[in-house]
Order: sequence, then C-alpha cells, then structure tokens
Amino acid sequence: MTASVAGEAAILDWIRTLGSRGPVFFPQKIGRQSLGFQPVRRESVLEFAGYHPTLAPPGKRLAPAVEVLFQYRSTPDRGLEFSPPPQPPGQILAGVRSCDLKAIHLMDRVNGAAPGDPLYLARRAGTTLLAVDCLQPCDTACFCAAVGSLGWRQGADLFLTPLEEAHYLMEALTPAGATLLAEAGFDPCPDPETHRRRAEARRANPFGRHWPVPVTELPTLLDHQWQSPVWSRHVERCFSCGTCNLVCPTCYCFDVRDDFDLAAPQEGQRQRSPDGCMLPGFAAVAGGHDFRPQPEGRQRHRVRRKFQYLGARHGGDSFCIGCGRCGRQCTAGIDIFAIVTDLIQHREMAP
Amino acid sequence: MKPRVAFFDFAGCEGCQLAVLNCEEVFLDLLEQVEIVEFREAMSETAHRIDIAFIEGSINREEDAQRLRDIRARSRILVALGACANMGNVQARANFTAPAEHFKRIYGSADRDRVQTDPRFWSLWAHTRVRAVHEIVAVDYRLRGCPMVAEEFLQLVKALISGAQPRQPANPVCVECRLHEFECAFDRGDTCLGQITWGGCAAVCIGQGYRCDGCRGLLPQANLAAHRQLLSERGLSDTDIRNRYRLFGSGEALGEEQRP
Repeated sequence: MTASVAGEAAILDWIRTLGSRGPVFFPQKIGRQSLGFQPVRRESVLEFAGYHPTLAPPGKRLAPAVEVLFQYRSTPDRGLEFSPPPQPPGQILAGVRSCDLKAIHLMDRVNGAAPGDPLYLARRAGTTLLAVDCLQPCDTACFCAAVGSLGWRQGADLFLTPLEEAHYLMEALTPAGATLLAEAGFDPCPDPETHRRRAEARRANPFGRHWPVPVTELPTLLDHQWQSPVWSRHVERCFSCGTCNLVCPTCYCFDVRDDFDLAAPQEGQRQRSPDGCMLPGFAAVAGGHDFRPQPEGRQRHRVRRKFQYLGARHGGDSFCIGCGRCGRQCTAGIDIFAIVTDLIQHREMAP
Repeated sequence: MKPRVAFFDFAGCEGCQLAVLNCEEVFLDLLEQVEIVEFREAMSETAHRIDIAFIEGSINREEDAQRLRDIRARSRILVALGACANMGNVQARANFTAPAEHFKRIYGSADRDRVQTDPRFWSLWAHTRVRAVHEIVAVDYRLRGCPMVAEEFLQLVKALISGAQPRQPANPVCVECRLHEFECAFDRGDTCLGQITWGGCAAVCIGQGYRCDGCRGLLPQANLAAHRQLLSERGLSDTDIRNRYRLFGSGEALGEEQRP
C-alpha cells in the first residue's frame, strides 16, 4: 500500500477541503474544555496537538442517539407494510485515535456476528477512517497500553504516525485509503517502515497507567471475585446516571420504541436509542422483577462485560479499550481502572 | 368515540397549558384524535365525564382540594401536568414558614392579627400547606418539569389513545446530556442537579449553557448523600446546597433533613 509524508498544516487543510465536499468529523472544541467529533467546515479550527478523548467516542457516529429501524404502515386489510430507513450518507471520521479505532473494530465484530446488524453495517460500509497514532498518553486517565489498544491500526483506511517537526507519516491500509491519499497529492514516502520504527522508538515507555497483571488474566481473576467487597466500595458515590455506559466506545445496548404520526395514525416508525446497564431500570423485566436492582450488581456486570463476557463471546482480550472516558466523565470519580486495581489487590490479600 | 380530554388549573402560572397550546404543529392533528371537553385557557364549557384529565398547578387551599376530588371522581385517567402539580414547585417553599408569618410579611401585622381573630377569615387556615396533586388524589401519570415538555406530552397522549403502555424510564438528566453530547456542567466549573433529577427534558438548560436546577423532581434512586458531598467538594456551603435543593424540590422535602 502507498504512503506519504506531509506537514500538519497541509494535512489539516486537506481535511478541511474534504469537509467542504461531504460529511467529515474531526475532534473540535465543545464548551469550556471538552472535545467532540464535530462536522468539519472550511473555517473549522483543527489541530492534532492538545488532543484528549472526546466526550462521545467517534464510533457513536455509527450508532446515532435516535436511529429509525423501519417505517410501518397498516393496510386497509389489517395487515402491515414495512419499509427500511433510507441509506445512511457516507462519512469520514478523521483524527480517530488507536483506542477508538480498536473499539470500532470490536463493534464491527459484535455487529457483524450472525445475524448481523444491517443498519450498523450499512453505516460502517460508508465510513472512511483516518486514524492517528499516539506517542504520548493523552492525559493521566487513559490506560490504552494496559488493554492492548496502543498502536492499534486494524480498521483504519489511512493511518497517521507523528514524525518530528510537525510532520506525519500517512499510510494507506485499504484501497479506499489509497484512493484518498492519491487524490490528496502529498509527497510519496518510499520507506514508511523506517519512519514508523523511528517514531515508535520515540513513544513514551511505559505508556500511561498499567496494572501489575496482564489483561489476559482478568477473566479468571473476575471469576473469583463474584462476592468481592470491592463492588460495593466503588458504588458508594455512584449516581446510577449511566454516563459510564453512554460514553463507552464498546457499549452498544439500546432500547426500542414505536412512534406513530398524529396526522396519519396508521403510519409510524420503530426507533432505538442507547441504553445503559448502570441505569436502574435496565434489567427490569415484565412482572416487575429486576435482575440487578442494586448498583453494586450493575457495576460488577459492567466490569465483567468489558473484561470477560464480550471477549469470551466475540474474541479479543478486552472490550475495555482504555480511553478512560468513563472515569473522566464520572462526576462521582468512579474509575474502572481503579476498580480493577482494587480487584487485583483484593485477590492478592485473600488467603 | 374520541377520548374526552380536559385541562384544569390550580395554583400555577398556566405555563404548562400554554406549552400544550404551543404544540401548534400537531395541535390540529391532536384534535382529530381527541375531544377537548374542558380547557379554561381555550374554552368555557364543562363536562361530567372525562377520559383523560390533566391537572396543572399545586393545591394550596382546602376548596382546591375539594375541586380536585370532584375532578378525580369524573375522570378515568388523571395526569399531573408540570412541576406544580407533581411536586408543589417553587411555591412549596412557603411550607417552610408559618402561615401567620406570610400574612404578616405580605399584609402587615394588623391584618395578620385580624385574620387570626375574625372568624370570617378562619377558613383561610383550614389548609395552608402547598400540596402536590398526588397528596390528595391518585395520579395515574406524570408529566414533569417547569414547564412540561411538549414531546413528552405528545408521547403520553399518543400512548393513552392508542392503548400502548406509556414509558417514562427513571433516568437522570445526565442521560440526555450524554446523548446530546453536552459538556457536563461540572466540567464548566458549575454545579448541577442533573444526576438526581428525572430526565426526559432533552437537557435543554444544560444545552443552553445553564445547569439543572431540578425542576423535574427527585429520582427514586437518587444518591443524595453522594450528591451533597459532591456539591460540598465543589465549594457550596450547607446553606447553598439546601437552597439549591429547595428551589424546586421543597414539596419533596429535599434538604429538609438539614433544616436548622
């Protein structure tokens, strides 16, 4: 595959040009100190420096907050006609970091597993990913290296590696990426391997936070911690607000509801919206039973989903990709890294 | 036959009824589906039998309570409309002060004394506490907020007229902020009641750069101890915290436990 080297300013200008042609999303400022994958326009202020994880991960552009599953229409003979939603528009997600790239890869696996989620897959097929490697931890909350997300490349169409003097190595990893790169017309790079090795040598080491045990040991460790006091310790301050779920790049649970049109009550649509297992009603079922009425049970479920259940079902060690969003955005300061750290320590203290 | 719908107002600003009338885009479509039989804000007729009664406003006097019981007796489904009906709203702050003190503050000491000694005014004392609708009659559904949210109103009406089970998950305002990708008020250096407050409002206040003051009421699972601790860590004094909780939440006795 092809590769180029270009200066930061030229790359960002090119991204702005792409944004004037079609939907492009890039991390941009939201509010006082936050970032979000916002639409790129000609005048957008873009930069690679100063990146820290966006409020919502880029993968949420593949699963909108309100998504129409189908339209329905009742016919005069008391039957129902269904029609699929319109084809989603194509999009470019640019400035995606390796952790979020891995999350998209994992969601491709989840949504691609039989029978497959056609809406996600259609959106994904129309999405081009322009990812960026990290040479420094973005802040003190991330732990991507501990969960195997650092340097993740799979799923990207174009992968950018920071070089010295504000230049980037741009590698096309797919035919779509190669086409995009050819159109951009940057200087070709005949030897991307050398550039990449040199850049990776400059990467901080150790990188971000680490546990004393490898992530591969967590499923077994969690099996022995069903009744750990750690679970209740970490929910004393929990508001059950669902933020940790809703900002997680690998949380994909949703709730479904039907809505009809008052002007034409025989027509309507079924739509879905994200739900979260930390929210109190999540595991409530018909008849009023709730499988996880207490926050500690919900917290245990969330942690086991990330480090055990999903990996066992879909492959891959960890569905936590170490972006740190859940801990960073939790107003109670509950950090999944700290929960796992406590679980490890608790196991070591146990007889 | 179309469901017969009625609106009744008690102590409140009638802003929720206005919010209903403001559903201009769908109001005529709505009238195709229901028959409005009482709505003082829009018409003068009264009805004997009602399918869905919307009650706006708090109940401040015993004669209001009697009127409410009469409405309940005529209604198949009763909906508390807006923060006043659901939790007493800001006027429930009056419950923290003795009624005689209010009379004095508003009308002066002489009149305060007169209403206490002249039997003609004694009916004023029959019930002086500001009450929410559910404290007097059974409430079937709630439309929270100050004012109520038009979209929630329409969703409830659609569910009731189509026979679907209305759904209002006990999710906090935080859910709305995350789905709309709003920066957390705490990250803007502000403090917020979003974590302990019923969502369903699309977090309009936070989206407009303000914070949540809790007009939709306290969630059943609200972790108040943790919330109080958080506000305190963010520099609010005990008095500030109590005032924040009591702004809309007085009727729910929020902050009551810290009463001096």
